[in-house]
Amino acid sequence: MSINSLKYILQVVLKSIRRNFWLSLASVLTVLVSLVILGASAFFLVNANNMAKDFESQLQIAVFTQDKLSQAEVQSLQKQVEELSGITSVTLVPKEQALRDFSQSMGSNTLVSDLGGTNPFPDKFTVQVSDPQQVQAVADQIQALKGVEKVRYGQEIVDKLLPFTRWLRWVGIGIVLAFALASLVLISLNIKMNVFSRRREIQIMKLVGASNSFIRWPFLIEGMFLGLIGGVLATFVVGFGYQWLAGYVSSTLTFMPVVQDSHLIGQVLISLLLVGMAIGAMGSVISLRKYLKV
Amino acid sequence: MIQFTNVSKIYPNGARALVDINLKIESGEFVFLVGPSGAGKSTIIRLLYREETPTRGQVVINGKNLLRMKDRDVPHLRRNIGVVFQDFRLLPSKTVLENISFALEVIGVAKKEVRERTRAALDLVGLASKEKVFPNELSGGEQQRISVARAIVNNPALLVADEPTGNLDPDTAWEIMDLLYNINKRGTTVVMATHARNIVDQMQKRVIAIESGKITRDEQKGGYGYVD
Repeated sequence: MSINSLKYILQVVLKSIRRNFWLSLASVLTVLVSLVILGASAFFLVNANNMAKDFESQLQIAVFTQDKLSQAEVQSLQKQVEELSGITSVTLVPKEQALRDFSQSMGSNTLVSDLGGTNPFPDKFTVQVSDPQQVQAVADQIQALKGVEKVRYGQEIVDKLLPFTRWLRWVGIGIVLAFALASLVLISLNIKMNVFSRRREIQIMKLVGASNSFIRWPFLIEGMFLGLIGGVLATFVVGFGYQWLAGYVSSTLTFMPVVQDSHLIGQVLISLLLVGMAIGAMGSVISLRKYLKV
Repeated sequence: MIQFTNVSKIYPNGARALVDINLKIESGEFVFLVGPSGAGKSTIIRLLYREETPTRGQVVINGKNLLRMKDRDVPHLRRNIGVVFQDFRLLPSKTVLENISFALEVIGVAKKEVRERTRAALDLVGLASKEKVFPNELSGGEQQRISVARAIVNNPALLVADEPTGNLDPDTAWEIMDLLYNINKRGTTVVMATHARNIVDQMQKRVIAIESGKITRDEQKGGYGYVD
């Protein structure tokens, strides 16, 4: 493309924004509102995911050994458990430790001597699994090992929690997708109006021999520019809004895990900017196609 | 310069606009297309600047076959063809000067050259004094002169006009015809579809009559020949 064409295109873009000021403003506001909603739902997704992960990480399997095992047998059992697939860590809690913990939790110093030197606790492993959805399968495998007395993993809680966290993730993804689609539709509608109001101009440009790419550029640049402005505004609104809300929630509802990772937040905000520009550009090209076929 | 070989055009709705047309127009000719409404005149015009492509047959302009032409080569064809319409097709939001220079700007001509050529075209149509005026402040005849100026500002080899005087009163129509006559004198081929009996009869140019999509008459120095 020649310098003349480039200068002309930039002039056209500026003139068009000035002449169609209200339409341009409407486009920016549409992008802004859509992206704020999109950004908010993205943060909802990030937090829902984080919350699900947080819940799930609290899941662990307690493995109780049979009473009569020797120290060596306990250690070999620990090895066997570690070698199973899907295990992150295995921690041994010896029976002496278990007794001490128990007496401490009962607030009694004499419990150990009261029992007369016997220890009713077995040795115990605390097993952390990598995929919480596999807790039950792993627990069953451990149960089958020789020397295992009992396996506990909070069946009742797991059976309710896992479907809930799965649901939480899908709802998050669903909301983000729905709003991304809604933004695209709203913005391309807006650009369609803009293109429609200039269809005669496009028709005449075709007639005097302007190439399709030449006709497309001003709309593309204008769409990207308006999308970018809307994206920048949305980034500010969502960024500051989230900062405030995250601070508020983590100080009042302290049990709620809130994502405060600035790297992740930055990624979400930059994506908003790029999505704004992409939506603007895509909307222009899609809306123009019909008018370029002359 | 223009050659139609066995050209037929059937529109998607089934209308047979042209049936087996053969036609040859030499460079520098002035040709009237006459015939009743719906006979196929406008279809021929649209085939010339490739708004439509023939269903069958070949249209060749300056050695280029329009049927085989790729979409991205169409702009280059149109830069060498000026088009004038009955309804002027000026942009209401642009001044007279901008309407004409637009045709040069969108094909990437340098600013200085745009100004010179636009002024020259305005001088040719005799409206240099109106350059800052908007089209709706002009009379119909003046608007059509602007659209002629826009059509020729590229110095095209071919000027096609689809009933350019259809919306004008007889006196104003003759002003436009004088303009087209002069443009033709400078070497531009002119093809004009029209219903204007007086004009065709007086100009004594080549007349091609079309009825129901077929050429029924083709004579040099012809007349309109129909009783409306």
